[in-house]
Amino acid sequence: MNSKSVRYLPLVVTVGQVVIFPYYIIWLKQVSLTFTLFAWFFATFSFSAAWGYRIYQTKKNKEQSYVFIIYAGMGIVYVLIGLIKNSYEYLPYIVLPLQVTLGLLQGYFRAWHSEQDTYHLHAVHHYLIVGFMMIGFSFTRIISPVVFIAIFGLLLCLCGFWDFIRRGKLSEPKKV
Amino acid sequence: MTVEKNIRFFSVAALYNKIKTMKIHNMTIKGVTMQRLMELLKKPWFLGSLVVVFVAVVLWNIPIEKRKYGLSQGSLVTDYTGLLPQRVERIVKAENRQDLQRIVKEANKDGQKISVAGLQHSQGGHTYYKDGVVLDMRTFNRILEIDEQQKTIRVEAGASWEDVQEAIQPHGLALKVTQSQSIFTIGGSLSVNAHGRDIRFGSMAETVKEMTLLTPSGEIKTITRDDPDDWMKYVFGGYGLFGVILDVTLELTENDIYTIHTEQLKTDQYETYFNELLTHRNTAMHYARVSVAPSTFLDEMVVVNYDYTEKQDHKTVLKKEQGVRLSKIALDVGRQGGALEDLFWGTQKLYIGSLDGKEITRNNVMRSESTFMEYTKPGRVEVLQEFFVPIHAYGDYINDLKQIIPSNDRSEDFKVHNITVRYAAKDEVTTLNYAKEDMLGLVVLIQHGLKEDEIANATTLIQNWTRLTLEHGGTYYLPYYRYQTKKQFRDSYPGWEEFVEEKLRKDPNSVFQNMFYEHYLK
Ligand SMILES: Cc1cc2nc3c(=O)[nH]c(=O)nc-3n(C[C@H](O)[C@H](O)[C@H](O)COP(=O)(O)OP(=O)(O)OC[C@H]3O[C@@H](n4cnc5c(N)ncnc54)[C@H](O)[C@@H]3O)c2cc1C
Repeated sequence: MNSKSVRYLPLVVTVGQVVIFPYYIIWLKQVSLTFTLFAWFFATFSFSAAWGYRIYQTKKNKEQSYVFIIYAGMGIVYVLIGLIKNSYEYLPYIVLPLQVTLGLLQGYFRAWHSEQDTYHLHAVHHYLIVGFMMIGFSFTRIISPVVFIAIFGLLLCLCGFWDFIRRGKLSEPKKV
Repeated sequence: MTVEKNIRFFSVAALYNKIKTMKIHNMTIKGVTMQRLMELLKKPWFLGSLVVVFVAVVLWNIPIEKRKYGLSQGSLVTDYTGLLPQRVERIVKAENRQDLQRIVKEANKDGQKISVAGLQHSQGGHTYYKDGVVLDMRTFNRILEIDEQQKTIRVEAGASWEDVQEAIQPHGLALKVTQSQSIFTIGGSLSVNAHGRDIRFGSMAETVKEMTLLTPSGEIKTITRDDPDDWMKYVFGGYGLFGVILDVTLELTENDIYTIHTEQLKTDQYETYFNELLTHRNTAMHYARVSVAPSTFLDEMVVVNYDYTEKQDHKTVLKKEQGVRLSKIALDVGRQGGALEDLFWGTQKLYIGSLDGKEITRNNVMRSESTFMEYTKPGRVEVLQEFFVPIHAYGDYINDLKQIIPSNDRSEDFKVHNITVRYAAKDEVTTLNYAKEDMLGLVVLIQHGLKEDEIANATTLIQNWTRLTLEHGGTYYLPYYRYQTKKQFRDSYPGWEEFVEEKLRKDPNSVFQNMFYEHYLK
């Protein structure tokens, strides 16, 4: 972690993911026709996360972890969810690959994050911030969960962009 | 003694040691297996494969979304297409005759209107009426008696064909006439005088030996074929307007085994082919499909015949829905129109061809799949229409039809997805009679949008189609949505005046009402 601002990005991502989780659940329940399917969507996410986690752990060159792509990838998935029309007949078929992608990226991200020096410090901050944010959100009315999901998606894309720029700048001298 | 004791002790000890070693051995095996599994779980390729396999399983099991329709007290009542939502006052689950009788008698006094609902596959508000009472017959579904000798079944009218098939199949019996699926109630089917794949037993109404009817005045009557009041003439094909069918005694036949015979034909060959089939061939049941794909539009057909084998069956189980997902995917491909509809037609021909030579029981011919037809896209609807033409008019009719329906509907709002052809035998029982002579029925699956102009466009096209049908001496089927004009209805059903007169005579307080009656007959 070379840049101060980049140090906080994982915190933004983890906090954001927890905060957006209830909205994501509401959306997922809406698009799953049955509870079984809802549960299976979650199982798919979990298996993919395990896969993503191990991909990072077994990675040889951990300096080049391309986390900005992970941020942007997750962001794009959330934005896509925001763009999908809810009543579309084929929705479950679209949700399934999205769950795989999201699981894979989150697993990879988590494995990467847990190996950063700031991980434990982030954990404490994470819990506190999430707590306060959820209290805050309890006073807002949910217009539609997809709006929040899409906004979070955009934020993640910005994180990806920021990470790309900052790291790019910082790594330039090394290349010379 | 001591030696013996020692021997026994040693053998027990040896056995104990052996078991212990085996246990340790087993544990080691288990330990090694666990270790291997744990190792495996750390491999990204293994986890990736797990995800791929799981995703495939989930994909295969994503349920097919079903239409939401039916009887609901809180909100609006609809039938199969949901096109005519209406508020009703009350829904009564039919459980016993006396309750139903009391409701009808009360309605005669207090002016309440009553409608009768089976499984609500009718599509034009036939099962409900504004602010009326709906009798939900689905709970009135007991099998009352099976007479193996006489080959008859007495059954309550809310039972579905599925219920009947389950009851008669172990006796080696089968129905004479049903629709091609078993998802309808007996009362609902007789009230539209339905038809299906059978080509030997005449109309459905003719297969009823006896019926118990709750008349519009609240009497419970047993009606036979020689009834002087001609109740059967009005109740069958009477759309629930002449009282409630409580139970019927149906004639049955053997659960024969048939060989499937399939053929591809040109549309202009079909008339001759079918006449030959009817008079000379050893065929019990039959249907055909006409191409609606752009490159072979209304030119190609595939026919499916079920030929007698002289064998009967007591054992083969009733088939469940099969290959629903694949059929749904294929139909969804076809729904896209254009080249994909050509692909769909090609697949259908291949599939039907693959059935050639196979054997099937009569009961199973009468229960084809229906779930694959589900269609739930908001803002659009899929409806059925059926047009009947005399057999001798078929060739010319299909030719003229090409002028009315576009061959490639890819960019049209009004899309025709499927046309199935079936035989409807001359009917000499009912008043609203769609088969005044032997007819061929074209069952058409249509999709269109729900915006005002889209409905107007569909209405115009279907009215044109009906006009052409009438010009060729044909009629159209009444259980479906009412696109046709009142004049077209009257031209198709010249018996309508007699029907109305008799309705007023048999139901003077107009107790039995529904939206179909209000639209066409009032
Ligand atoms: C997917 C699909 C496939 C179809 N295939 C065929 C086919 O192959 N052949 C064919 O002929 N038709 C076919 N139909 C039409 C179908 O046969 C009719 O809609 C039939 O009425 C459905 O039975 P139901 O139990 O759903 O009746 P409902 O729709 O519930 O009722 C139909 C009419 O019967 C009256 N009724 C119901 N029960 C009683 C009773 N106990 N006493 C008095 N009146 C009663 C109702 O008032 C109503 O007027 C099909 C329809 C669909 C949606």
